[in-house]
Amino acid sequence: MNNKTGVVSFNWEKTLELLKDSRIDSVGLNERVDSLANRSIKKESKLEALNMIVSMCDLTTLEGEDTEGKVSQMVAKAIIPNPNDLDIESVAAVCVYPSLVSVAKEKIGNSSVKVAAVSSYFPSGQVPMESKLLDTKYAIDSGADEIDIVINRKAFLEGDYRKVYDEILALKEVCGDVHLKTILEVGDLRTYENIRKASLISLAAGSDFIKTSTGKLSVGSSRQACYVMAKAVLDFKSLSGVSVGIKVAGGIRDAKDAIRYLVLIKEEMGNEWLTPDLFRFGASSLLDDVLKQIKKLKTGAYQASYYFPRG
Amino acid sequence: MVNWEYSESIESQDIVSIKDKYQNFVNGKFQQPNSKKYIDTISPSSEEFLSKIVISNEKDVDTAVQSAQMGFEKWENTTPHERSKYLFKLARLIQERSREFAVLESLDGGKPIKESRDFDLPQVAANFFYFAGWADKIDLSWGAKSLKPYGVVGQIIPWNFPLLMLAWKVAPALATGNTVVLKPAETTSLTALLFADLCEQAGIPDGVVNIITGDGTTGSLIVNHKDINKIAFTGSTQVGKLIQKSLAGRDVGLTLELGGKAANIVYEDAAIDQAVEGVVNGIFFNQGHVCCAGSRLLLQESIHDEFITKLEKRMQTLRVGNPLDKNTDIGAVNSKEQLNKIQELVNEGVSDGGKIFQTECELPGNGFWFKPTLFTDVQPSYSIAREEIFGPVLTTLTFRTPQEAIEIANNTEYGLSAGIWTEKGSKILWTADRLEAGVVWANTFNKFDPASPFGGYKESGFGREGGRHGLLSYLKAES
Amino acid sequence: MIEIKKTYKNYVGGKYVRSESGKTFTLSLKNDSYEVPLTSKKDIRDAVTSSKKGFQNWSQISPYTKTQILYRLSEMIEGNKDSYTELLISGGSTRNQAKKDIETAIKNIVWYAGLADKWEQVAGNLNPVNGEYFNISHQNPIGVVFSLNADNNSLASLLNSILQPLTVGCSVISFSEESSIIALKFAEDINNSDFPDGSLNILSGQFENVYEDISKHVEINLVSIYKEVPTEILTKIQENASNSVKRIIYMPSIDGISSVLPFLETKTVWHPKGT
Repeated sequence: MNNKTGVVSFNWEKTLELLKDSRIDSVGLNERVDSLANRSIKKESKLEALNMIVSMCDLTTLEGEDTEGKVSQMVAKAIIPNPNDLDIESVAAVCVYPSLVSVAKEKIGNSSVKVAAVSSYFPSGQVPMESKLLDTKYAIDSGADEIDIVINRKAFLEGDYRKVYDEILALKEVCGDVHLKTILEVGDLRTYENIRKASLISLAAGSDFIKTSTGKLSVGSSRQACYVMAKAVLDFKSLSGVSVGIKVAGGIRDAKDAIRYLVLIKEEMGNEWLTPDLFRFGASSLLDDVLKQIKKLKTGAYQASYYFPRG
Repeated sequence: MVNWEYSESIESQDIVSIKDKYQNFVNGKFQQPNSKKYIDTISPSSEEFLSKIVISNEKDVDTAVQSAQMGFEKWENTTPHERSKYLFKLARLIQERSREFAVLESLDGGKPIKESRDFDLPQVAANFFYFAGWADKIDLSWGAKSLKPYGVVGQIIPWNFPLLMLAWKVAPALATGNTVVLKPAETTSLTALLFADLCEQAGIPDGVVNIITGDGTTGSLIVNHKDINKIAFTGSTQVGKLIQKSLAGRDVGLTLELGGKAANIVYEDAAIDQAVEGVVNGIFFNQGHVCCAGSRLLLQESIHDEFITKLEKRMQTLRVGNPLDKNTDIGAVNSKEQLNKIQELVNEGVSDGGKIFQTECELPGNGFWFKPTLFTDVQPSYSIAREEIFGPVLTTLTFRTPQEAIEIANNTEYGLSAGIWTEKGSKILWTADRLEAGVVWANTFNKFDPASPFGGYKESGFGREGGRHGLLSYLKAES
Repeated sequence: MIEIKKTYKNYVGGKYVRSESGKTFTLSLKNDSYEVPLTSKKDIRDAVTSSKKGFQNWSQISPYTKTQILYRLSEMIEGNKDSYTELLISGGSTRNQAKKDIETAIKNIVWYAGLADKWEQVAGNLNPVNGEYFNISHQNPIGVVFSLNADNNSLASLLNSILQPLTVGCSVISFSEESSIIALKFAEDINNSDFPDGSLNILSGQFENVYEDISKHVEINLVSIYKEVPTEILTKIQENASNSVKRIIYMPSIDGISSVLPFLETKTVWHPKGT
């Protein structure tokens, strides 16, 4: 079944087949991920990486205390991350709660920055399906270009994978052309095998992107989780021909760690995935550290945060 | 599409200072050797000259053995507690100067700095720490009061893990009360000679550790010396057999750690992505210059295509280049001689009918390099399936049943190591029971620890190094 | 000129603390007297909480790292030989006795440091059972150990009441009475040696105040007593211990491999072998 966006989804029988091959050895996996973290990224390759990271950021604010003023400031920063260095591109997107989508859209204006909204009763998803659909429709009607939903962990951990799959399918239907990111919430899934299964279900149900975390748990993204998801995306591609994106969010605080993610993606998936169309960072404090590092590389001196406007 | 390439990240050589010429370390200090024959030692990644080392002659070997005899008397009279402290001190010194040793090792031998820094040197320190702790409790190891040191031990080590092989030899020998005459490989003597500096720094009593350089002729002189009480050799099976023959009819202890052609068995119910990593690690670690390398991939036929596709893709990300670049995965082949051997066997593989895959990479102009290579469509009779290549070349064979895997795995005169990949525990244990190999790795590969005994079955040698069992290589029962 | 005199405190969870009761007792040495913490029941409870956490960390640390940490402890003590000598002398030893005592202490630490990554090879084994089974017995450290020091003005004998459980991965609460100063001074070297917080806690006090509580405290897994205690007290301790099947060892061997065996629990695992 192909829907309007050209993303493929598998029927349930085919999805079940996919889930069979989910054997992972965690010791071996951890060793591989650790060895990738040993890469030494310096000089031009570091500057390139930092610039890539900026272009891959979804600048995020998801707090009860968010207001129009706060979001406006963030949008300004998203469009021009460092007013003192106009070589630095805009970020990929801003990510907000549904009620802030319209003001974000207004402030974005003609910029290339996308507006992403979380929905499906983010972050817990513990409500009936009707509420999740309503939530999502509202965000889309407000003008969201991208939607980040959460999978039903309750259903997943109860073993009801069909329900997890059906919900994503239904939400994708509502999204239509709007780009859908499906959040696995790896902190709830715990084991690598669960992460793989959840990835495959989300891929089979037609997600444009799979995303590690909501950022609301103490356990956010990890490079190990990203590795598992990368393997799932590649296995799905070899069966379907479709390249699905990966977003890592939650706990990526500094440029050094972000660069390690890029190394992982490059070596495990290839250069094809090094684009905001297929890889994103959910970020708040990350952007500032990246800007600091860029300035340090360009000037040779360590920087302080107060040089960079708040967003 | 973005093409993000890594910039160079070179580890500086400034930390190392290499002399123009080296003497032998005998009786506690560097001394003028008797031999006048010197050879150049070069960096295999650039072919640049590093230093000159002497090819020790009969007089030099004799001086060293005599020194070791005098050293033995001193060492015998050193309390076990004191010996323990000397070894702890060496361990600490190695830790302090790790970076210096790692850079020198990569420069002299060709292995990536990533490996010498993160694997070789930590293991070297760990070995000295581990055996330091046995020195004062030998009676605990086998509960036999009659176990005594041999006396003077001749140790001949290879070029693939120069300093680590030195640690595997010297630490247990000293801990058990022996004294040593050690000959490093002629292409990689520099870290052994730097280690001699540490012996001086640590105040090791004169004559306990003696390091003399040389080639096969020197090795032969050591083996045949009348006052040697034991020989410990790591190297090729061919030379091992010669040594064993030389010792026939003499009351000299012997342990041999020789070649291998290990089977890495991947069952269909393995965790495939991790198995791919394990297979890659098994053969490409240290450019395949590893006696226990997983050089035969035994793949269950039902997963052959899927596995090979993933394997080739993974191999393509291996970075071949300057050993001092921190991002290099595969360094230089140790010598022109070894490079020729590898090329010869690979050519045979192709002409026998094997299908060859080599990664696309730019090889530096100078130096000795070989691209990571994979053979499929191989029959068990091909030389690439039987002979030890000792390079970054993997040969694939298929099997259908576990019983067949065992038969193919054991169908070799070697028996050093083997790998098993499956998520089923009982199958691991069943398979391990039936493999004729001294070291079996399940769902992992190339794991080493001073506490873990290492050594082979059949023509991979006899005797163990490491662990409680490793002590027996340096102790004999008093009759 | 008036000297700055050291205040000795308990050492719990990687920090120096006074007794929560605020009470101290006086130890009179040859040249001086000190007020040291009079450990209360609540102090014991806090120490056990800390030791439980310490056990979790210490038991997970690799044997190789344990060796290095223990060896570092010997390096610390070696560096502080002079202060220990003075303390031992003011506790009643001759200079020569003090010197020998410290040498023995260091020797023993080095011995146990080297045992940390070896005892399992000597104490555990594969069992040759009948049938297609892989059967292995391996040892785990028992947990939190309360240890009563022999209290005979000796650094070596203090260490002989600590090293055995510590080496195999237990956390230790070491309690001293008359020889508290040596023990509390020793805490400084523990602090400098990379032991995880709570793996080794040092307390001073009077045993009669705390023996009831420690013998009843369910989270103390083992009590080892290295000094003579009156029979009535020992009996009471053993009776209390029976409520939670706590292990009590009285005057255990301090020699060789058998010195660590009481602090271990043996776990035997079976696994079928088949395709």
